[in-house]
Amino acid sequence: MVIIKQFIFSFLSTIGFAVLFSIPKGSIIKSGIAGASGWVTFYISSMYFESHVAGTFFAAIVVGILGELLARYYKKPATVYIIPGIVPLVPGAGMYYTMLALVEKDFYTAANKGTETFFIAAAISIGIIVSTSLSSSIKRVKHKG
Amino acid sequence: MDFNENNKSEAKKILLLSALAGEIMLKNGAETYRVEDTIERICKSRMNIKYADAFVTTTGIFVSLEYQGEMMTYLIRIKSIKIDLNKINLVNEFSREFVNSDMSISKGLEKLKKINKVNNYSSWIKTLFGSLACAFFSLLFGGTFLDFISSYLVSLIVLISVNRIDKYKMIFFVNNFIGAVLASTLSILATKLGIGENMDIIIIASIMSLVPGVAITNAIRDTISGDFISGLSRGMEAIFSALAIAFGVGIVLNVYFKGMI
Repeated sequence: MVIIKQFIFSFLSTIGFAVLFSIPKGSIIKSGIAGASGWVTFYISSMYFESHVAGTFFAAIVVGILGELLARYYKKPATVYIIPGIVPLVPGAGMYYTMLALVEKDFYTAANKGTETFFIAAAISIGIIVSTSLSSSIKRVKHKG
Repeated sequence: MDFNENNKSEAKKILLLSALAGEIMLKNGAETYRVEDTIERICKSRMNIKYADAFVTTTGIFVSLEYQGEMMTYLIRIKSIKIDLNKINLVNEFSREFVNSDMSISKGLEKLKKINKVNNYSSWIKTLFGSLACAFFSLLFGGTFLDFISSYLVSLIVLISVNRIDKYKMIFFVNNFIGAVLASTLSILATKLGIGENMDIIIIASIMSLVPGVAITNAIRDTISGDFISGLSRGMEAIFSALAIAFGVGIVLNVYFKGMI
């Protein structure tokens, strides 16, 4: 039940970001589905691994792969599907809690949260790297065959 | 001779066309490798142009092509980037159509100019949906219905004022900083007035519209495809936007905990 709720909310949230970045009208729902699957992956895997970094990593991979597949199928640039799905994963909350701890002069928590934020950003990068290089290597193999 | 001259001006026109296509893509937030690829494809599609090359960074485009032993070069400086993924898609479709058909170059130029003017959504719809995205984000973080409403209102005001500030061509750092200051001040006000319940969640949700998601994604995609200069410069953009947001929130929180608001 919680997961369905998370799916719906993240779907609507991704659609909002999609319109903010003005993606083509026919692609709004598809990018919403990509973003929502990414968020649900984040939700489930960060509970399973008890770490937001691992959750973000798998979510970025899911968003990246779905984006590349949709881009291949509908012949649109992959960023159209990837960008609205990635935005909810960006660690805005981590940034906020780091700043909050700094303001309260709680440097231990600040270092903790700051490192986590940094690694979440790194996890997004590596997730996109994995999915993009996967899809481009598939493309290369197909061209040879 | 006359015929030859005519062809030379055609070659110049195709250079202009490809540069314009690249400019529209880059200005609206495309990755550099996509821009380079599009420019080269458009140039090489006509009149036996064997050599055409493009060097694109986030702030400029250099294109040169060789036509009958003569080099021609064109340079465009890009100053402002705003995100409009629909235009990238339209130029992408245009280049595919142009390369695969016999479209005349002047018709192509006309089409590109039309694409440049396309407005997919009015700025009002963009702001309304953008703040809706932030509001639903507050629910994802476990906010209540009141938090939903207040983060909608806060991010609506933030987005409207950031759009206003954008017209004065400020640097992106100032933009994000002011946006974050506004977001956190208004969130504190909303909780004080009793519209919202959890201040943390409202602030987190309303800074989501400022967060550099596009810069991060493009920086990585550029770096993987080997454009390290663009990747680095976009990465710097992402880091400094994040710093601006963090400092904006931090200053307001500092004032708040000193008991001044």
